[in-house]
Amino acid sequence: MNLKNYIDFYALLQSHKPSREENRAFGLEIEDVNYSPFKQILLWVQKYEGRLKKPLLSQQIGSYLYGLTLTLAILAFLLGLFSGMGLLSYSGHEPVNVIYFLAMVVLLPLLTMILTFFSMLKAGSSHSFLVHISPAFWMERVLQLLPKKVQHTLKELPLTPQLTNWMLIKRSQLLALLFSLGLLVSLLGMVTTKDIAFAWSTTLQVSPQEFHSYLLSIAFAWRDLFPWAVPSLELIEQSQYFRLGENLDMSMIQNASKLGEWWKFLAFTTLFYAIFLRFTLWLFTQWGFRYALLKSFLSLEGSTTLLREMNEPIISTASPKEEQLFTSHEKQYGMQIAKLNSSYDVTLGWAMSSSELTVLNDTMQVTSKDVFEVGGANSLSEDSAIIAKSQGNVLFYVKSWEPPTMDFVDFLEELVIQVEHVTLTPRGTSNEKYIATQKELEMWGRKLETLHLKKVWLKI
Amino acid sequence: MTSMHPTFAVVGHPNKGKSSIVSTLAFDDSVQISDTPGTTTKKRSFPLTVDGKVLYELFDTPGFQRARRVLAWLEKHEVPASKKHEVVLAFIEAHKDDERFNDEVQLLEPIMAGAGIIYVVDGSKPYGEEYEAEMEILRWTGQPSMALINHIGESDYSQEWKRALGHYFKMVRTFNPMLATFSQHLLLLESMAQLKEEWIAPVNHSIDLFKAYHEQMFERSANAIAKLMYKSLSHVEQFALTQDDASKEEREQIEERYQVVLRGLEQTSQKQIEQIWNHHHLEKEQESLTFEGVDLFSKESASLFGLTRKELLITGATGGAMTGAGIDLMFGGGTFLLGSTIGAVLGGSSAFFGFNELSDVKVLGKSLGTNYLEMGPMKNINFAYILLNRTLFHTTKIASHSHALREIVQLKMGRTFTEKWMDDTLRKSLEKYHTLFRSKDEVKAEVLSEYEVLIKDVLKHLID
Repeated sequence: MNLKNYIDFYALLQSHKPSREENRAFGLEIEDVNYSPFKQILLWVQKYEGRLKKPLLSQQIGSYLYGLTLTLAILAFLLGLFSGMGLLSYSGHEPVNVIYFLAMVVLLPLLTMILTFFSMLKAGSSHSFLVHISPAFWMERVLQLLPKKVQHTLKELPLTPQLTNWMLIKRSQLLALLFSLGLLVSLLGMVTTKDIAFAWSTTLQVSPQEFHSYLLSIAFAWRDLFPWAVPSLELIEQSQYFRLGENLDMSMIQNASKLGEWWKFLAFTTLFYAIFLRFTLWLFTQWGFRYALLKSFLSLEGSTTLLREMNEPIISTASPKEEQLFTSHEKQYGMQIAKLNSSYDVTLGWAMSSSELTVLNDTMQVTSKDVFEVGGANSLSEDSAIIAKSQGNVLFYVKSWEPPTMDFVDFLEELVIQVEHVTLTPRGTSNEKYIATQKELEMWGRKLETLHLKKVWLKI
Repeated sequence: MTSMHPTFAVVGHPNKGKSSIVSTLAFDDSVQISDTPGTTTKKRSFPLTVDGKVLYELFDTPGFQRARRVLAWLEKHEVPASKKHEVVLAFIEAHKDDERFNDEVQLLEPIMAGAGIIYVVDGSKPYGEEYEAEMEILRWTGQPSMALINHIGESDYSQEWKRALGHYFKMVRTFNPMLATFSQHLLLLESMAQLKEEWIAPVNHSIDLFKAYHEQMFERSANAIAKLMYKSLSHVEQFALTQDDASKEEREQIEERYQVVLRGLEQTSQKQIEQIWNHHHLEKEQESLTFEGVDLFSKESASLFGLTRKELLITGATGGAMTGAGIDLMFGGGTFLLGSTIGAVLGGSSAFFGFNELSDVKVLGKSLGTNYLEMGPMKNINFAYILLNRTLFHTTKIASHSHALREIVQLKMGRTFTEKWMDDTLRKSLEKYHTLFRSKDEVKAEVLSEYEVLIKDVLKHLID
């Protein structure tokens, strides 16, 4: 798991997202890891990263970040090296005060490590001032002033504050580690190439015995294993130095070779406090960064949907085929009448009983020579016989709510051959007082419009 | 060839709501529903699939058009009851290329392939003898069948329908696709399973899956709502300033942009919710999100190295204090934290007073500082509830909206809607999250999940 996977994941979600079906199929393929959403995502990224355009965004950003870290690392190492050389610069006139160096390799690392610890606790906050005071933060900001296209892309990346903070904390530790390595290298280099006389000097009232006990406390981690790397009380006494009068103590000059022995203690102090502890912290920040990265993977927009798509079965109820589009004829039927005649040659009723037809005629104040029920339970031959008997003007009742079926259309087409005039009268239910609704009349009109029968009039 | 899974053919007279029933049962609003007869001309399959595996299949079919002619053809063949289905098969074979019987062939094909029959009638209109030919044809097929009384209109003729249908079907049920709830939907499926003993287990399995599917819909809706709330409340609109002070036009411009973004977020979320509930073709009318009474304040801000003046001040003061603390430590605490205090004051004041000067410094033609106008995150506490109310109302409407309805959905929220779902305890719980969304802090995925659970409970309360 690394930043590359995260950026590839982001890029895939942005522009190359597979379909839901593909995701589910892959989810089933890797069902044995469905207990770990993170593993599922990683495998998904591995499967689909080939779809990403080259050069990969992760490669661009990765190489930028690598370059940035390398530049800062070299600067930190050089800074450490030159700081060490400055602290250990020795002209031969005065001994080198070990307190400065100790402050640099004990106090500074401890202080910054405490700050790091607190900034780790607050790493989730988007305004962590503890991160803002990190030199790495400022070095990075200054380098960002250099014009580079990738910086714009980097700003677009959805890096959570937690992830950004951990990236900075991790980088700070690496830079501090390299700074300390620079210090150690300068110490070893100076010790090898120069005869440095170390001493200790302070304005504070500190006796050699007290100073010895401080140093023993500092050396708690190695004093039993490597006692030769802890200055003896005798050495401490011999190397106490006062600058007043600019005269060196004679005993110091006599024991000049012994004064160099301090380097072992300084080297071990650097190794333990500035390097070992920092390295341990750096390892810890690696873990913190991985944790933040893991969280970021899962909180990235689209990741929840992806996991859902991989883990939830696709339940579909819709038709796989598109329906053929039906277009209705909105044109109004032209042959409409508003009033029925007072008499007709024949009255027909589609799927209506004779008694119903009689009631209807009475209601409409219409008389008719013959009244026949057609359709409904009639056989086709019975209907044909009625058509044969029909002639002249025909009043034809239909149930307004029943749509005209092709069975009805067949009958009507046969009927118009035989008769002169058909008045089609849709009637409503008895509850509706036999009055057809406008919608129903429109439905009948639309159907008649498609039939082009010149003898059929619609009673509206 | 018969299917391995249960299949059901929804058949009947034209315009009796077959497509509406299928549309509702299949949660599919793409089915054409019209009061013009003959809208459905081809049978259409609606399979319930889980990961591509069909559990059961529904067929929407055209209505009977020439039922009497078909029945006449069948009755010409005098065969014992055990052979009647063969006559129906012979009819299909003889007329599959005959345009006149296209609809009958389309509706009989799935039945003869083993589908259970669901015969649909309109219980709001009187029974008529013309239906008997249709029911007789279905009897000839020999397939298990049930009748479903749909209620398209307001009148009720269901008693006379039940008496008539009872002669042809063992099971008669009432189902209104426009008003059916999810549980009524499941009850109907249970009834359908009774048509054949071997269908009971697969249909019951389908019912369980439907429940899971329904649960998924709630979860996904809650997820969409939670995201909308988070994005809307936390949104910050920034506008780079060319001059030191923002003009009136620039202030108006940022306010408009802010509102457009928030409206856009709401629309996207609504579309997403409609997709979740399978309303892909829905049309709606709704008042757009207004900001009346919601005071929106824009403020000018500046940053240096990505830090605001306040952040830089804190950073400077902390850095100074830390340096001073180092000096204090070197003196073994004898300085009584004077080093830290002086360091903090020096660091803080340098950062504060040097902010403007440093901002104007140009490196490689680029200013170190940036001036911008900013609006958001939303400060108004009530806005969250306005938005949440709207989105919950929309989701409730969509989730309860029948897939058979085709008219424009009117989203008019009554004044009492809030009372239906919110009480003081819930408000307090919600406010905790809204406050977090409004802060500029990162909201962790697990916090959003907690909020989602809360929203899901509200949705279940409103919809179920």
